[in-house]
Amino acid sequence: MNTNASEIVRVDNVRKVYSDNGVPVDALRGINMTVLPGDFSVIAGPSGSGKTTLLNIVGTLDKPTEGAVYLDGEDVASKTRRQLADIRLRKIGFVFQAYNLNPVLSALENVEFTMMLRGIDAAERKRKSLALLEELGIGELARKRPNEMSGGQQQRVAIARAISNDPRLVLADEPTANLDSDTAVKLLELMEKLNHEDGITFVFSSHDPQVIGRAHRLLILKDGQIVDDKVNV
Amino acid sequence: MLSRIAWRNILRNKRRSFILILSIMVGVIALVMTDAFSIGMMRQMLTNQIGADAGYIQIHRKGYHDDPALKNSIVNTAPVRAALASDSAFVHISERLRTFGLISSASNSSGVSIVGIIPQEEERITTVHKYIVEGTYLTGKPDDIIISTATAEKLKVGIGDKVVIMASRIGGSVGSEACRVVGLFETFDSGFDQTHVYIPIATVERMLAAGGRVSEFVVNPMDPKQTDSIARQLRSRLPADFEVLTYKQMLPLLVMQIQLYDQIIYIFYAIIAIALIFGIINTMLMAVMERTHEFGIDMAIGMSNKRIVLMILTEAFYLGAVGTIVGLAIALAINIPLSHSGWNLAAFSDSLKSVGIGTVIYPVVGASTVLNAAVIIPLATVIGAVYPAMRAIRLQPVEAIRAS
Repeated sequence: MNTNASEIVRVDNVRKVYSDNGVPVDALRGINMTVLPGDFSVIAGPSGSGKTTLLNIVGTLDKPTEGAVYLDGEDVASKTRRQLADIRLRKIGFVFQAYNLNPVLSALENVEFTMMLRGIDAAERKRKSLALLEELGIGELARKRPNEMSGGQQQRVAIARAISNDPRLVLADEPTANLDSDTAVKLLELMEKLNHEDGITFVFSSHDPQVIGRAHRLLILKDGQIVDDKVNV
Repeated sequence: MLSRIAWRNILRNKRRSFILILSIMVGVIALVMTDAFSIGMMRQMLTNQIGADAGYIQIHRKGYHDDPALKNSIVNTAPVRAALASDSAFVHISERLRTFGLISSASNSSGVSIVGIIPQEEERITTVHKYIVEGTYLTGKPDDIIISTATAEKLKVGIGDKVVIMASRIGGSVGSEACRVVGLFETFDSGFDQTHVYIPIATVERMLAAGGRVSEFVVNPMDPKQTDSIARQLRSRLPADFEVLTYKQMLPLLVMQIQLYDQIIYIFYAIIAIALIFGIINTMLMAVMERTHEFGIDMAIGMSNKRIVLMILTEAFYLGAVGTIVGLAIALAINIPLSHSGWNLAAFSDSLKSVGIGTVIYPVVGASTVLNAAVIIPLATVIGAVYPAMRAIRLQPVEAIRAS
């Protein structure tokens, strides 16, 4: 399969079948999509439509039953667990619905952690982490642990963590679902700014109208199939 | 940073970590106490036997060790005295003439080893003079005899009473001497007490008509570590019809027992380590299960299996290290004072005396004991964490993230 050199992600005819107590369930049914640099895409759809499954497959956390996923032109199916971990570390940033920061680390250390995994030296990762936290408006929370921060603050730290390794792509799974609308708006504005100013590519899964309203490209998923794909919404 | 995370993870569930550290501490304390007590007991048995009778080195006429009969005693002592002359500054020397015989009173008699000694020399070699509980040590009079309290009870005699000793001479006739009890001794070894009496060497010579003969020269180096080298030198200096034996050859069973113990203690270490490994598996498995979601997130952000394993093993190592350090500190705090004051086990004195230990045990905490505990226990905790770590990395990221 030829892929366009500029594509970050190409998903080709991906199927995912789960077994639910022995009963096969089609979570994704022949998905085709691409992600281009600078995209601010939203995969929308009702609960159970397969948004998170698709995001997990794009993020190499899960494997498709059929079809192929290309990241920067490379078929991820042939990669070992170790290589996939390395791809996630270097190319993909994750933002989760429940923030999922390491509870024993401070905000600063959470951001530093991914850089540590890449082998960046302590002084450099501290400098960069502090700069990121400042940029995201939570510099004063650097020493706080997750349980000392609000949901919005934790999600900002999660974003800082996701972009700390300069990934090709940030996958955000329902990032505003646990936030009040004001905080959600601020957070989305922040991610838009990162997209506009820093060129960071975002792919969201969400059914939050506030997220959908900001999408440059909107993919509507229903029963495991893309039923609509709108660009420049 | 990984070690910082590991340490903080330990502190997350303080109660569980505390219980685990406590169990490690108890294991370390048990291990050190058992080792120190056993080494102390073994060493005491050996030094007691060396101090009571054997000494560090003995020189005999060849064959005397296998057949300690009067006919096998040294007739010409000149070569021995010449061989020892150059070492006199480094060693204490005593000579003895001993035989098996009978000691009798008006009431009873008993078979004993009659040991003829030069009291002033013997005092520098053996410890019997320290165990006089009534009367005095040999005073220099030819008819002095010291016997144990056990023998005195059996013969129904006391200080100042007369006893008769008799033994076979080389020709087969029987010699005898009347002696007066001047002292009663009671050592750490009831078996030894019942079978030994001490009289001046000249009296034994007279009784046995064995003038000039010596059964054994006992040589104690001032530095016991020199035992083997001095024994080697003496062997090279003496003619072939003499045998030079160290305590290792004279007390082979005891030496073997100590060597055997050195091996057996590793079985004890293994038992403690295995128990610990199962405890660690259980605890770390619980910790891993509780953190399944977290491991999923770690995998999602790109943490490799190797680093996840390293983090879990580091946590286990820290638990083991803390338990070991605190356990060792407590064990040493208990053992070091005890190694000076001793542990009085008078309640078990009969059984301890029957094996020649004495009623006060002085535990010995050697570097090897501390080193063994310091290596074996943290290693066991790390080994115990291997299975939970393997379980953690077998998790599929997407399933782990879904775990609540």
